[in-house]
Parts: sequence; C-alpha cells; structure tokens
Amino acid sequence: MPSLNSDRWRIVGPYLDRAMEMAPGERKAWLESLRAEDAALAADLESLLEERSVLSREGFLGDSAVRPPAPASLVGQRIGAYTLIEQIGQGGMGSVWLARRSDGRFEGKAAVKLLNASLVGRAGEERFRREGTILARLTHPHIARLIDAGVSPAGQPYLVLEHVQGEPIDRDCDGRGVGVEARLRLFLDVLDAVAHAHANLIVHRDIKPSNVLVDADGQVKLLDFGIAKLLEGEGGGGEATALTREGGRALTPEYAAPEQIAGGTITTATDVYALGTLLYVLLSGRHPAERALSSPADLYKAIVETEPQRLSDSVVERKGQTAERLAGHAALRSTTPDALRRELKGDLDTIVAKALKKNPAERYPSVTALAEDLQRYLDDEPISARPDTLAYRAGKFLRRNARVVAAATAVVLLLAGLVGFYTLRLAKERDRARLEAQKATKVSELLTDLLTGADPYGTRGPKEPTVRELLDVGADRIHKELAGQPELQAEMLTVMGRVYQRLGLNDKAQPLLKEALAAGRRAFGPEHERVAQTLNDLGVLLDEKGDYTAAAPMLEEALAMRRKVLGRWHQDVAVTLVELGRVYSDQGNEARAEPLFRESLAIRRKVLGDYDHETAVSQNALATVAWHKGDLAGAESLFRQSLAIFRKSRGSGDPDVSTGLNNLALVVADRRDFATAESLLRESLAIGRRSLGDKHPRIAGKLNNLSNALREQGKYDEAASAAREALEIATPDLGEDHPQIATYKITLARVHLAGRDPNGAEPLLRGALRIRERAFPPGDWRIGVPRSLLGETLTALGRYDEAERLLIDARAALKDIPGQQGREAEATRTRLATLYEAWGRPDKAAAYRVAHAAQ
Amino acid sequence: MVATISSLISSTESGDRAAADQLFAALYSELHGLARRQVARAGSEVTIGATTLLHEAYLNMSRREGPVFPDRARFMSYAAKVMRGLIIDYARHRRAQKRGGGLDITTLNDQVAGEVADAKELILISSALDELATVDPQLAELVDLKFFCGFSFAEISAMHGVSERTVQRRWEKARIYLHRTIRRGAPA
Repeated sequence: MPSLNSDRWRIVGPYLDRAMEMAPGERKAWLESLRAEDAALAADLESLLEERSVLSREGFLGDSAVRPPAPASLVGQRIGAYTLIEQIGQGGMGSVWLARRSDGRFEGKAAVKLLNASLVGRAGEERFRREGTILARLTHPHIARLIDAGVSPAGQPYLVLEHVQGEPIDRDCDGRGVGVEARLRLFLDVLDAVAHAHANLIVHRDIKPSNVLVDADGQVKLLDFGIAKLLEGEGGGGEATALTREGGRALTPEYAAPEQIAGGTITTATDVYALGTLLYVLLSGRHPAERALSSPADLYKAIVETEPQRLSDSVVERKGQTAERLAGHAALRSTTPDALRRELKGDLDTIVAKALKKNPAERYPSVTALAEDLQRYLDDEPISARPDTLAYRAGKFLRRNARVVAAATAVVLLLAGLVGFYTLRLAKERDRARLEAQKATKVSELLTDLLTGADPYGTRGPKEPTVRELLDVGADRIHKELAGQPELQAEMLTVMGRVYQRLGLNDKAQPLLKEALAAGRRAFGPEHERVAQTLNDLGVLLDEKGDYTAAAPMLEEALAMRRKVLGRWHQDVAVTLVELGRVYSDQGNEARAEPLFRESLAIRRKVLGDYDHETAVSQNALATVAWHKGDLAGAESLFRQSLAIFRKSRGSGDPDVSTGLNNLALVVADRRDFATAESLLRESLAIGRRSLGDKHPRIAGKLNNLSNALREQGKYDEAASAAREALEIATPDLGEDHPQIATYKITLARVHLAGRDPNGAEPLLRGALRIRERAFPPGDWRIGVPRSLLGETLTALGRYDEAERLLIDARAALKDIPGQQGREAEATRTRLATLYEAWGRPDKAAAYRVAHAAQ
Repeated sequence: MVATISSLISSTESGDRAAADQLFAALYSELHGLARRQVARAGSEVTIGATTLLHEAYLNMSRREGPVFPDRARFMSYAAKVMRGLIIDYARHRRAQKRGGGLDITTLNDQVAGEVADAKELILISSALDELATVDPQLAELVDLKFFCGFSFAEISAMHGVSERTVQRRWEKARIYLHRTIRRGAPA
C-alpha cells in the first residue's frame, strides 16, 4: 500500500471529501473523468476509498479506547436473595440484569437493576431503603412490582423488580395494527394502574412508552414506579427525571411536564401530563412537540412555552410531511388518514389538550378524572372537559404577560401631580418577586444546562453562584453560542432582558432587549408578533426608566404592528394600548392617553367581560385620566367600581385593594375631605405594609399621599415624618434623580412651608426643581410646581427678585384647567400677590388679587 | 496553580508553549483526581465513562473559574487530548500486565487492576495522531473525542455545530490516515 506524505495528503484530501459525499454510481463516473486529467490522483483516490471500506468492515478503531467494564464479570454474583444470570439492559442509571432466586425456585425470576452508586450516594442509603420499602407495598395487576431495594455489602445499590417481558406500548400497538378504540381501552388499564399508585401517594414521574410494556397476553405493565423519586436528592425537585442520562447521553425529556423542566413541584398532575403525551403519541403516532424534537434546547422551550398542535391536526397533511407518512400512521391504526382525523377531532382533541395544559392546575384534577372522560367518550356521553374558548385563550395570554403589564404599572407612580398615584398591580408583589426569582433561576439553570451540557447527577457545588452571575454567564453565551440560531437567540435575549428587568437591572436589560429587537427583525422579518412583543417590552423598560420621549415611539410602533398582524381586537393590542396610554399620561398628555385607555377597556370588556381583573385595570387607568381632567365624580365612581372588583377577585388583603383605596383617597382629598382621605390612606398603608413589606417603593408613595392629607389637616409633625419615611424608602431604590424623589421632596417642602420653615423648604425644592427640569420638557407645568413653591419660599426669605422670576415662569407654565394644575395656577397667583405686597408694590399685588377674585 | 484554565487556554492559543504544558498538567491533574475520587466513591463495581468524566471536569472547572471560562467545545478539544495522554501514560505504565479488553477509566487508579489491550498499538495510534494533528488538527481532535474519550458522533456533531454525516465522513478520513501512517511505520 502506498504511503502518503503530508503534502500529498493535503492535495488528495479535498478530492477524498468530495468522493465520499457522492453516491457510488456518481463516484465511479467522476473518478473516470478525473483519471483523464490526473491519473495518479485518481489512483490514489481509488486506493483510499478501497481502504475506507476495508477499515469499515474490520471496524478499525471501532471500540473506544475507554469503555465500561466487562459486564461478564458480574454473572453469578449474588445480590440480595438473587443471583444474576445475564445482562438485559444498560443505561445511565446503571445496568439491568435478569436474575433468579438464589434458592433455585424458578418462579422467582426477577430483574435486578444495579444502580450507579453516585446516584444513590446523594440520596442516602437509609432513605433509599426506606423509600424502597414503601414502593414494594405497591401491588396492582398492571404495575411491575418492586420486590426489594437495598445496598449490597460491597456498597452496590440495587433494585429487584418483577421481570416483565414485553414491548413498549406504542410499538406493541403499531405492531398489531390496533385501532383507536382498542388503544383507548388499553390506555384505560394504564390509567387504572397510575390511579392506584396515586391513591397510595406514589407519583411515577417518568411515564414513557419504555416504562409501559405490553406482554404476550396483551396485558399492560407499568415499570419503574417512583424510581425517579427514589434516586433523587432529599427535597430535590424534578430535575432528576429530565436530566436522567441514558447510555452516557442526555435523555431527551420527551415526556417531561413543564414543571419538571422548570424545576417546579412534582405532583400527580405531572403524571397526568406525561399520560397526555403518551395518549397523544398512541392516538396520532406523532409527538405533541414533534417539530422541536431534534434538539433538547428546542424541546425544553416547546414543553414550557408552546401550545401543542391540536391532536387531530397532527395527522393532517402539512408542509414537510409526506402523504405516505400520514398513510403509514393511519395504517398502523387500521384506518385511513381522513378517517383517523375525523375520529380524533372533537372530544379526543379536547381531552388530550386538557391533559397537556402547561399549568398543572388546569389539567385533569386526577388520573381518574381523565379516565372518566375517556370512558364517557367511549360510551358516547358528553365529556367534562371544555374546548378552549377565545376567552380562555385570551385570559391565558394575559396571565402569561402579566409580568409585562405589571412591570409597566410599577413605575407609573409619576403621575401629573404632586402626589404619587398608583396604578394597579396584577399580583401580590412579593409572590411575584419570588416567582420571578424562581423563573430567573430556572432560565439560568436551563441555560447553564443547555450550554454546558447537563450535569448528569444534578450536583451543585458548595458555593452556589448567584442568580445574577448565572444570568451574566447565560447572556454571554447567548451571544456567542446562539449566533447561528437567530430565532432562538432573539427569544432568549428577550427572556433574559425581561428577567434582568424584573430584577431591577434595567441597565443590563436595555442593551439585551435592543439586541433582541435587532435579532428578532433579522429572524422573523420587520413586522412580526415577536418583534412587536420586544418593541413593547423595550417601550415599557424605557417608561420605567422615565425616558418617556424614547418610550412613546417604541410603543406606537408596537401598537401599529400588533394591530396589523393580530387585528384590532386582540389581547396584545389591549396590553400595548395601556402601556402607551401610561406613557402619555406620565408626560401629562391625558388627551392622548384617554382614547387609548378607552379602546383597551373596550377590548377587555369584550374578551374578558365586565368583572375581570384586567378590565378593572383598564377602568382604573381611565379613572386616573378622569381625575386628572378634574372629573372627580366620574373618577370616584370608576375607582369605586374597580376597587369592588379587586376586593372580590383578590381578597381584602391584596396590594391591588391597597392601591384602589389609595386612589380613591386621592379623589376624596380633591373634594377637600381630608379626614376621610386620611382613613382610606391609613387602611391602604396597613394592607400595603402587610402584603408588600415596609420597605417597598409603593409604601413610599402611600406615605407621600398620607403626608399631604395630614398637612391639610394641620398635623405637621406626622406629615413631616411620613414624607421623610417616603424619601428614605424610595431613594436607595430609585436613585437620587428619579422624578418620584422630586415629588416626595416637594411634599416634605410643603410641610416645611406650612410650618413656616422656609429654610427647611428651600434645598428640598431646589433639588426637586433640578430633577424635574431634567425629566420634563421646558414649559411643562410640573416644572412650574416647584418653581412656584420656591417662589413662595424665597418671598418668605425676602429674596424678591428671584422669587418674582420663578413665580412668573410658573405662572406661564400652569394653565387654568380643572384639577391639580388649576389649583397650582391659582396658588401661584396668590403667591405673586403676596410677593408684591411684601415687596411694597400693592398695585401689582392688586392685579393678581383681582384676577383671583374674578375666577 | 496560579493561572486560570481560561488564561492558559488563551495563552496556548497565542502560541505559548509553556502555557500549553501548564494547561496539559492542570487538566491532567483535574481528570486524574476526578477519576480517583470516583473510584473511591463507587468502588470497583461501578465505573464512570470518559465522557462523563470530561463533563464533570468541565462543570467543576467552570464552577471554580466562573463566567470567564471559555466554551465547552473548546474545553473538550483540549481535555480530549489530555485524556489521550492519561490513557497512554497508563498504558505505558501497565504494559507488563496486558490482558484482553479495553481500558477502564476507573483503572487509572493504580489500586484497581487495570487491563490494557495492546498498549503498543495505543501508543502507535497516539503517535500517528500527533502526526495527523500537524496536517489536519480538526481530524486529530475528532479521533481524540471519538476513540479516546468515547463521544458519539451525535455528541461531537452537537459540539462542533456540524451534521452527524459530516462528522462520520471526517472520522472515516481520519481513520484512513491513521491506518496508513501506522502501517508505514510498522516493520515490514
């Protein structure tokens, strides 16, 4: 055989690549034509190709240099009361052996699982034995019994199981051409077994075809009940199931429920989900997340996020799916594709969809309930599950996006006026914070697992990295490693951006969302649902940062895109309408905000009904506008309505109720009924402190309002301490320059002024003015407020020149419209009159007094 | 060890020989230590595969070294070379005691009797591989991953972002090269 030197190899190599890519017939012709040009090259190639097939036949380097130990050595070994006969399986958990009783009784044949010691080492031998004993008590004709569990004297953990010979249920049914109805009856046996285990408080956690066998007599047997739990760490989540490795490779968690991927609580509903997947596969021959099966990353995402395709749709011809394949699936069920689709359409669609709900609480409450519905279907009775309605889907969308809506409301404290005004929140702040932290952990775990290769045993080092550290790693990797997958990259960037946003790390969130936007546009095209979502998120983020001028065009674009892509009556449209309305409202542009809020209210009323929480949120936003317009009666009535809905839907201790009380108090205060306002605010504050904690920024806003109500009643000491507490709470959270801080400073300054302490008021007002001058456009009336107050302060201090300048500027900015602004305009005129009187210019003073009297 | 693995990798990549040696030593001790602990924990009845060992090493090290650690594929390409070294060292060491069968990674611990098929052949393969690395480093890395570390084609294709078919083809090509090189070097 001719040897090839390196130079020759470099020349021949590319030709060899080409030759290997070709089909044999094609290759032959190609070689012939090559021979005409370069006979030596063709000869070399022929020789190399010949050698290639010889090496394949010989299996040269076929065995890895590193391999598991020879299993033969264990034959005849005694494990508990059993002697190992032969190995019948090998997996990541360990090896499976056929064994017989050591006392020679033939009927004592069993399967012995020798487990990877590191799996059990973690759970603890004692716990392993204890749980094993519990599982051993589980007896049911369709459950393969656990006979014994223990640890050999040599430290080898093992399980002795009833030995079942059979085929996985899907393969068995396909092999025998079992029709849909017979499949359902067989599946009912599976459900009976699982229900029995659940009644004994045992959850399977790993239901999949290879654990549901059908024996030669056509009887189903479930294997490995509760084994996943047995192998899990004390107090562990469900990760062990999803991350169990088979044969050294990550097992695709095809049957894992969303909560197993997300590290949520594993309950009987987890089995319901896996059973739903199994039923889907049995009936259609397809997997509910089939399009995502090729990569674990896609599958994780699909399980957690993507609604599965409707069962009956999965057997219809679609892009990328040949008619032959469909006919094949149907033939295995002794039917045709059309007949199969008709059979699955309707009730079976509904039943499977209910079992596959992402939210465990929306699935069948028990395996028995699922079985009953299937029985009803077989008996042609109406089933209990209801198909998804538009309202249901819409509600679901809102729940999914609650975060975004809530995040937007969080910083909309900054309303036109002097007092912090709260918009409503969607859920308990603390609960959500906890939830978000969990989600953040989940996302980062997911990323770490996906991108570093799953840790097979779920081990975590002693020094747990913080969520944020993990996020940073994740973000970095999204950049580097998902560069070739723009869609996934765009999505993950959005997810990460939102998580950062929820953690309050806006500076980290913003560049990620911007990138997500660019990546999304590249991946999905300039106008797409996803692009609109990212625009919406980015707009909300900018609004939260107080950058209203940048937020508005983002949200306008999101709105236009959503209307175009989704239609005018879509829930997403309502979400963006509210966000955009808030931005305009924050800018003091109530006239532009109002129609947006009205439209969102109309959409939500239509889709969700009059008494839904979301409808109340829109109503509340509209009430705010009415309030700013000076329509106190209208505002009060809208606030009372939404407060009633919140009390009913959330209970009296909920932060939303606290917010509703707060808002109502502000309207009452506008009626100058400060005593009632005070008591409403005290109630609001008490609920807020209980549900949000004493240090929450929203507590600061309530304190601010309380301070105003107290000051108006002459209770200056209490008023001052409330305003001071507000500043103490808010400053570390929002930073010195946040417009909200200006509001609190003004409130405290007002107390000083009322208590005749202009020296105390001056620095506060100068600080507030500086903040507002930066935050709002020149001439904005909200800049006029601290100017006017500073004018009053300087009048009291005898610095008339500057006071006059400030008051005249303020007078120009403040319009005589009903509400807060009008009151400030009026007060400014009085301040001007007072200034000129003090300055010794009674003629000028009189002009303002006259104008005042004429009002 | 003063320098971090990531800094060693970047120095190695900019051609620093000393860093390359240090990197090898660091990975070597990491993998060896892991294998040793695994044997101590599991006993001789259970074994850990080379791939699992590499995954664990990566997780351990990225946990220790934090977010600056380079990506997994690059780690594996270095670690796979080290793994080969580990196996060859062991093969040399145990040459006298050869018997049938492959090398069980747990036997890297000297207390457990190890079996090495043909230590001589392993060494031949290894030096052919060194030669291949000068001609086509990608192919050489593939052999390290596949033959010495036991990764499947699917895993390697995921690691390098190429199709399984491409990996398979490269593997066949590498095999031809190695075979020729070994035959050429063998006494006639």
